[in-house]
Amino acid sequence: MLLEVRDLHVEFRTRDGVAKAVNGVSYGVDASETLAVLGESGSGKSVTAQAVMGILDMPPGRITGGEVVFRGRDLLQLKEDERRKVRGAEMAMIFQDALSSLNPVLTVGDQLGEMFTVHRGMSRKDARAKAVELMDRVRIPAARERVKQYPHQFSGGMRQRIMIAMALALEPALIIADEPTTALDVTVQAQVMDLLADLQREYHMGLILITHDLGVVADVADRIAVMYAGRIVESAPVHDIYKAPAHPYTRGLLESIPRLDLKGRELYAIKGLPPNLTQIPPGCAFHPRCPLARDVCRTDEPPLYEVSATRGSACHFWRECLDG
Amino acid sequence: MAEPILEVSDLVKHYPLTQGVVFRKQVGAVRAVDGVDFRLGRGETLGIVGESGCGKSTVAKMLVNLERPTAGSIRYKGEDITRLSGRALKAVRRNIQMVFQDPYTSLNPRMTVGDIVGEPFDIHPEAAPKGDRRRKVQELLDVVGLNPEYVNRYPHQFSGGQRQRIGIARGLALRPEVIVADEPVSALDVSVQAQVINLMDRLQSEFDLSYVFIAHDLSIVRHISNRVAVMYLGRIVETGTDTEIYEHPTHPYTQALLSAVPVPDPEAREHRERIILSGDVPSPTDIPSGCRFRTRCWKAQERCAREVPALAVPAWFRTEGGPAAHDSACHFAAEKQVVPVEPHGSGPG
Repeated sequence: MLLEVRDLHVEFRTRDGVAKAVNGVSYGVDASETLAVLGESGSGKSVTAQAVMGILDMPPGRITGGEVVFRGRDLLQLKEDERRKVRGAEMAMIFQDALSSLNPVLTVGDQLGEMFTVHRGMSRKDARAKAVELMDRVRIPAARERVKQYPHQFSGGMRQRIMIAMALALEPALIIADEPTTALDVTVQAQVMDLLADLQREYHMGLILITHDLGVVADVADRIAVMYAGRIVESAPVHDIYKAPAHPYTRGLLESIPRLDLKGRELYAIKGLPPNLTQIPPGCAFHPRCPLARDVCRTDEPPLYEVSATRGSACHFWRECLDG
Repeated sequence: MAEPILEVSDLVKHYPLTQGVVFRKQVGAVRAVDGVDFRLGRGETLGIVGESGCGKSTVAKMLVNLERPTAGSIRYKGEDITRLSGRALKAVRRNIQMVFQDPYTSLNPRMTVGDIVGEPFDIHPEAAPKGDRRRKVQELLDVVGLNPEYVNRYPHQFSGGQRQRIGIARGLALRPEVIVADEPVSALDVSVQAQVINLMDRLQSEFDLSYVFIAHDLSIVRHISNRVAVMYLGRIVETGTDTEIYEHPTHPYTQALLSAVPVPDPEAREHRERIILSGDVPSPTDIPSGCRFRTRCWKAQERCAREVPALAVPAWFRTEGGPAAHDSACHFAAEKQVVPVEPHGSGPG
């Protein structure tokens, strides 16, 4: 395993009390593999990724337990300066909003080149040449001229390519992409996802794709981890989950999205709202919204039951769910 | 088609680009909407899809008179509303209401829900006598699935989905005949989107509403619309019934757009053809000559740079009829199936 997150817990102190954002998350990703972490806002999918990258705001955030084992070492035990050497060089992150992730007063060439001057001690001139090379690689036309331009002179899709170029600069083993195409139009989204998949093949990178879009997941992922209220509720190879979900939340999500290829009558709607993280319901966090909920769900928190060698579901009644 | 309630013809909105302060002169224009025609039938839903910058939101604003068109007309029951003003305009506005995209910024944070939903009655007092308003507001909250006891709460006490319901209740207050919804669910979480779409479906049959539903999400538009118009750079490039557009698209842009939408079915990814467009949408200040899609089109020929293709049923489809015979603004319109047709029913369950 390239990366293994084990039983990670993260809390935030807020005015309304302690928000338990991540409550025992475990997942792993191998080289050349794509793991999709699927969840709605507040499910803890991004916070988990930030803890893995070591960019969590602390305080108010606090990691209260767990391990992040990357290439055999627990990153949470490393000192900040050691951590910094891992970040960027060995693992990199791509964010949703490329415009606010780039520095508006530096040219894209300077920002890309910085990766090489800081991490590799290159001269500015060599770094500039590397920046052009990277922009070529992410298929930005006229890279030699555009390397001198500022972020606002690029379109949304092109800016996201620059973010990808920056993440790739030092050829990391792992890339975490947090909603990389959510802000983009569909035709541009297709271009960017296509590029990301090609680059992953070329460099054999592990990819963690954080998203709420079940369509994007079906297109690119090998495995899926579905998160709800800070826990993984279902984890499975991508084909299995779409064929037969083993958790009522996953099933609800799949049935609630309108489909391009189907014109249905009424959409299935999961009743209620995701829970407030300062007051997560006891037992299974999904029970107030669940059609299968019984007494045991209100009291006993379900472990991640083994559905098969490669699948897990945190539902007491996963068999029932699997059977439809 | 049912009797048209809205008829839009040759609608244009140009925003001037000026230079200089004292001697201001116009140096160009952003051609946001550049000649749009459509009809909306009573009780019908027209979906307008397109990517950012295609002009779909500007069309929405003109429909509810938040923007004055540069040219063209919008006929509501036969009357051109773009030339109205004063009392006549106010009367028409009652019948065409809008639901906005962002439920966080479209509700005044300092007003209670009761005041927000009741505000239309202040502007149109004839719609509800003073003493009756509180009851009316509570009725509206009930209709959109909110607890009527919530009238004294403030917007921040609600989730995104609930806020969008408040926005819908406000849109319904005056019992309009047409609702223009601009991306009404795109700011919501997946599990909440379905609730709001089902609500809009139910309200449509309950109150005999006609919708103009604007969105960039093609799956949602297919779900809710009877007819669909695809926009690119300020113009409609293809329009037809949902089956015609989704299963028999003939315009290359529609085909590319549809093929780019991720389908939540991993089995489809191996045998699905993807049309990846090159480049970006051109600037609306500098629109290509002839067909505006030609700079990104794989079919483009010399003729496309010279002649603007009209939005009409292509001659070669006209005789045979069938689902390919619908309006498509392309010199080389040809059918191409890009959305996989599901052989095995309706997914899980």
